[in-house]
Amino acid sequence: MLQIKDLKAGIEDNQILKGINLEVKAGEIHAIMGPNGSGKSTLSAVIAGKEEYEVEGGNITFNGEDLLELDPEERAHNGIFLSFQYPVEIPGISVSNFIKTSITEKRKAQGLEPMPTKDLLKMMREKMELLSIKKGYLSRNMNEGFSGGEKKRNEIFQMAMLEPKLAILDETDSGLDIDALRIVANGVNKLKSADNATIVITHYQRLLDYIIPDFVHVLHNGRIIKSGGKELAHELEEKGYDWITKEADKQWA
Amino acid sequence: MGLIENLKSYSEGVQVSADKQEVLTSFLTNGFPTTKDEEWKYTSLKKIITNEYTIENTGAVVDASTIEKYSLGFENKIIFSDGKLINTPSIKGVSISGFADFESNTTDSILQLNKALAQNGFTISVDKNIVLESPIEILFFITTENNFSQYRNQISIGENAEIKFVERIQNLNDSTSMVNHFTQIHCAKNTKVEYNKIQNNTPESRLIDTVNVYQEQDSTCDINTLIFGGSFTRNNLNFEQNGSNCESNMNGVSVLDDNQLADNHTFVDHKSAYCRSNEMYKGVYLGHSKGVFNGKIMVRQDAQKIDAFQSNNNLLLSDHSSIDSKPQLEIYADDVKCSHGCTIGQLDEDALFYMRSRGIGIEEAKAVLTYAFASEAIENISVEEVKLLAQKLLAKKLNVDLDFSL
Repeated sequence: MLQIKDLKAGIEDNQILKGINLEVKAGEIHAIMGPNGSGKSTLSAVIAGKEEYEVEGGNITFNGEDLLELDPEERAHNGIFLSFQYPVEIPGISVSNFIKTSITEKRKAQGLEPMPTKDLLKMMREKMELLSIKKGYLSRNMNEGFSGGEKKRNEIFQMAMLEPKLAILDETDSGLDIDALRIVANGVNKLKSADNATIVITHYQRLLDYIIPDFVHVLHNGRIIKSGGKELAHELEEKGYDWITKEADKQWA
Repeated sequence: MGLIENLKSYSEGVQVSADKQEVLTSFLTNGFPTTKDEEWKYTSLKKIITNEYTIENTGAVVDASTIEKYSLGFENKIIFSDGKLINTPSIKGVSISGFADFESNTTDSILQLNKALAQNGFTISVDKNIVLESPIEILFFITTENNFSQYRNQISIGENAEIKFVERIQNLNDSTSMVNHFTQIHCAKNTKVEYNKIQNNTPESRLIDTVNVYQEQDSTCDINTLIFGGSFTRNNLNFEQNGSNCESNMNGVSVLDDNQLADNHTFVDHKSAYCRSNEMYKGVYLGHSKGVFNGKIMVRQDAQKIDAFQSNNNLLLSDHSSIDSKPQLEIYADDVKCSHGCTIGQLDEDALFYMRSRGIGIEEAKAVLTYAFASEAIENISVEEVKLLAQKLLAKKLNVDLDFSL
């Protein structure tokens, strides 16, 4: 589904990603872990198409298509979804209106008519139930005045509504208490299928107790320095990052 | 030649009373205001008064389909065609008739001209305790080319009455037209009035619109102004609060492109204690458009416990657009709450990316954010049809096919 080859990217003159290789297949869950500043959020921003980041080398293909040629909205139409670490507040637009607009735009790109309002509302109610979201939430302004937990839940709600092929969850666990974490993880697990894939970006192992990854990758200084199964996450939790980052630093010095 | 000359020769052919003649002479001597006049510092009339105009011509008949096209569909319609009143609704407790002159302030040369030569307009008198849920729609059609017209309207609202209006001036040809529009509103005790102005005229239309509102105690008056069309729009809203517990609300949305200019001048004269005023003006400027906002708030010495709020927020969406914004607070009482704020900015890049990552195209994302920006002022409008029209016009102006309702 997603193939990243020797990806080098940065912002202005500062190279942050120094050669990333990653392959994600349908049905898989990948966790990308790493210390602060290792390039985790840059990687997700580059996949989603944030324009401040300049790609200096390598390529990304998504279902055979050159992703780097596409605008962020086209990537979304093709099935990529990024759950933001810091979701943006948009005063003046209700959650329901925002989601309606994004679904309508996605359908327009696929040559489909807008979804009838009745069906849309029904779908929203179902997904709200899945994420234990209270009534009244739909008419609130997008992320305005939301708590950290509410913002993250809103991200997953949008994901549920947009049904992406590849979801990237960027630090979705930060700012969540344990109950909210369970609800969010439960939502992600329920949305999981053999046709979609998930990349979970996280600093801590905690989220991975609820969303069990098939693969764990350690990102450090712009490179994936170690990959393994879910047990790697436990090892990192016990021993920290130092034991592998030191080794890698020696190698790349 | 030019408008002054056109007006001179027109006035030679009409009979006016001695007091009007005096006002007219004063106007013709001093002419239109220039940018040396403080109230017109940022808005030049020079270009629009050098054109040739035909004065007060009566023209073609306006057919039913044209009326339908520009109407928001309210049952009660007052319709003018080139100054001629062609339809008045009959509403219990509301008397509606054509032009009848009235006393007004003539310190302003624009109002002098209106006082001296205006011969058209409406007179509305609302009996006390009348409450009308559905708005009265007032449509002014211009059918003749290069028309200069003046309206002089008066509305008197009896005690405890509640009423809403939706007004629209529409040129039916592409030629240059200019309107000097003046409306005086008297709000008696405990009245509630909402006046909505839809200013979406043809690209070569010019408008100077003045509304003077006189409020008595416990009255609330809202004036909402939506500016989308016309090449030149100047609005003067003047509120005078003459009793306690009055509330004056102004909401304005301007969405301009090309070489459009819109100037909103507001003045609230707080003469009595325990009153409120709220102003919210949102401007969106594309192309080479220009905006002006001047908000004056006067709190007189005896007007204690005043709560006055004013905000003017602007989005400059092109490198060639501009805005001049000026709050003017004169406060002579010591126990008042007055606040004002002005912002000028661009669309938030992070929000744009956020929306694009959700599949919303860049133009649509800009439109949604622009709508979100303007919505705070639009939300204050109570007439649903006007709100929906504002959303539609906004989407159209930003060239996107979006429906903001759910």
